[in-house]
Amino acid sequence: MLMDKETTARPDERDVLGISRLGLAVGSGERATPLLAGVTVRVGRGETVGLVGESGSGKSLTARTALGMLPPGARATGRVTVSGVDVLAAGRRTLRDLRRTRVSMIFQDPRASINPVRRIGDYLTEGLRARGVPARAAAGQALDLLDRVGIRDPRAAVRRYPHQFSGGMLQRVVIAGALSTEPELLLADEPTTALDVTTQAEVVGLLRNLQRDHGTGMLFVTHDLDLAAAVCDRVYVMYAGRIVEEAPGASLFAAPAHPYTKALLEASPSVHGDKAAIKAIAGRPRSLAESPSGCSFRDRCPLAGDDCAERVPAHRPHGASATACLRPEQVMP
Amino acid sequence: MTEPVLTVTSLVKRFGPVVAVDEVSFELMPGACLGIVGESGSGKTTIARVLAGLERPTSGTVTLAGEVVRDHSRRARRWRARQLQMIFQDPYGSFDPRQSIARSIAEPLRLHRPGARERHRARVEELLDQVGLDARAGAALPRELSGGQRQRAAIARALAIEPRVLVLDEAVAALDVSIQAQILTLLDDLRRGTGIAYVFVSHDLAVVRHVTDTAIVMRHGRVVERGETGRILRSPQHPYTRLLLDSIPAPGWDLDRVARDRRALDPHPAHGESSCSTSTT
Repeated sequence: MLMDKETTARPDERDVLGISRLGLAVGSGERATPLLAGVTVRVGRGETVGLVGESGSGKSLTARTALGMLPPGARATGRVTVSGVDVLAAGRRTLRDLRRTRVSMIFQDPRASINPVRRIGDYLTEGLRARGVPARAAAGQALDLLDRVGIRDPRAAVRRYPHQFSGGMLQRVVIAGALSTEPELLLADEPTTALDVTTQAEVVGLLRNLQRDHGTGMLFVTHDLDLAAAVCDRVYVMYAGRIVEEAPGASLFAAPAHPYTKALLEASPSVHGDKAAIKAIAGRPRSLAESPSGCSFRDRCPLAGDDCAERVPAHRPHGASATACLRPEQVMP
Repeated sequence: MTEPVLTVTSLVKRFGPVVAVDEVSFELMPGACLGIVGESGSGKTTIARVLAGLERPTSGTVTLAGEVVRDHSRRARRWRARQLQMIFQDPYGSFDPRQSIARSIAEPLRLHRPGARERHRARVEELLDQVGLDARAGAALPRELSGGQRQRAAIARALAIEPRVLVLDEAVAALDVSIQAQILTLLDDLRRGTGIAYVFVSHDLAVVRHVTDTAIVMRHGRVVERGETGRILRSPQHPYTRLLLDSIPAPGWDLDRVARDRRALDPHPAHGESSCSTSTT
């Protein structure tokens, strides 16, 4: 039934992830709380795409919908496809299949996503065994995977428990597990936030190399604008449950096209260039439910005018960006 | 010449066989800001905890406002608290969840400056105002405030008895960028306004560059580099400081070089973060 959709996927759907006009709300009728609105995100094959925002912006929620993981009682509108599979319409079996073979996810805290009382070897072979790989072959692959993510002495490592690894090393193990099924799409939700800076650089390098070798598409969710700009081909900036700007990673710093992106850049202290004063943004980040009508950022925006309240600004091209702002030409870097 | 408000000399702290802090010395002048930079396991937090009296040093001395801190009697601890206060990463754990923010802020006043309730109330209002919180936030319980507001409240409480030194341990690490900028700006203003000195413990070089005048870079319990913060970041002398700088994401980030340099620095990783405990068990 649902499997039909998979086979009849349109041939032009080359993207590994296609989220279009995604809306998400919990509750119903008058009491409904909106979480996401009009979110459109695509990740091409082998592409690294950043999803950047502060807390409550909806970046993690968006990434999770790609796995069909919605908050309890949430209703979704719009369309989410992973390699042509319609995730929102998929049944349990299709979703399970999808998670088993096509999409993997890495979370911030490796200790929260790995069973503390089972050995690393079990963790790594579990996914492979579920795909029908014989036990002996799976064990061999696990060693190979650990070697690829730079764990010394894989033979000893498979017999150890998670608590015997440091955070950085355990995150490597989780990455090995995520890649064991050779997914087409990797969802990385703040994968390096809990790590030291030097460890972060290594783990990001590892992710990038593995992704390059396999042509995996990656959605990289982070609060760190610098990290996203350095790592990603394209970056989406989210604010209050909406995408406010989409830009190539390289040009995000040079030419922000949305006042929020610019404000974020000005609020972040930097080690590069001349020491510049940081400018705090007044107020605090909003969620979609508490944001004002029209443009969600308008109550904190220095460029806002009356017209910003009328409706949610549509995305328009400006420079290399697509921005949801009425006055992108006034946003100077 | 002015005397340093805080002097740490040859500080050593051992936990069993582990040397967390190894012969660390530094000085802090009144109204100045010293950064302690390092990654996990560098010993930076242990130093902060020793300064606040939460840990006793194995050896070495801490001199605060001209007096060597020796005694751990009740009186000595109170005296120390009047000179030095500490701010943690998440202040949630340091507020009584059943007590309003205003009452929590008034607590050090009641303890250190006994006096009329009216006077305390007025002082709390003044403090709330100083850190940019309104009366409604003062009446709220800790859980009703956002992370940024709670950090403001923690700062207000620490300032209540006008200490000479504030030790901030990763005080802005858990905050969103836009909120972090607000707190950094607040800390800047407070230092200018009150002449308080900061010990700013952080893993974030960008933040340290913004806040501090001088800094020490720590690794495995030792100071590997010290000096004026701007100089350290402009021309780092120690390979570890260079590695820290190269590890910060930037356009044209050379990840392979970072990985190489790190391995070169730690050829036999038997301890610390870069190794997993697989090599020790």
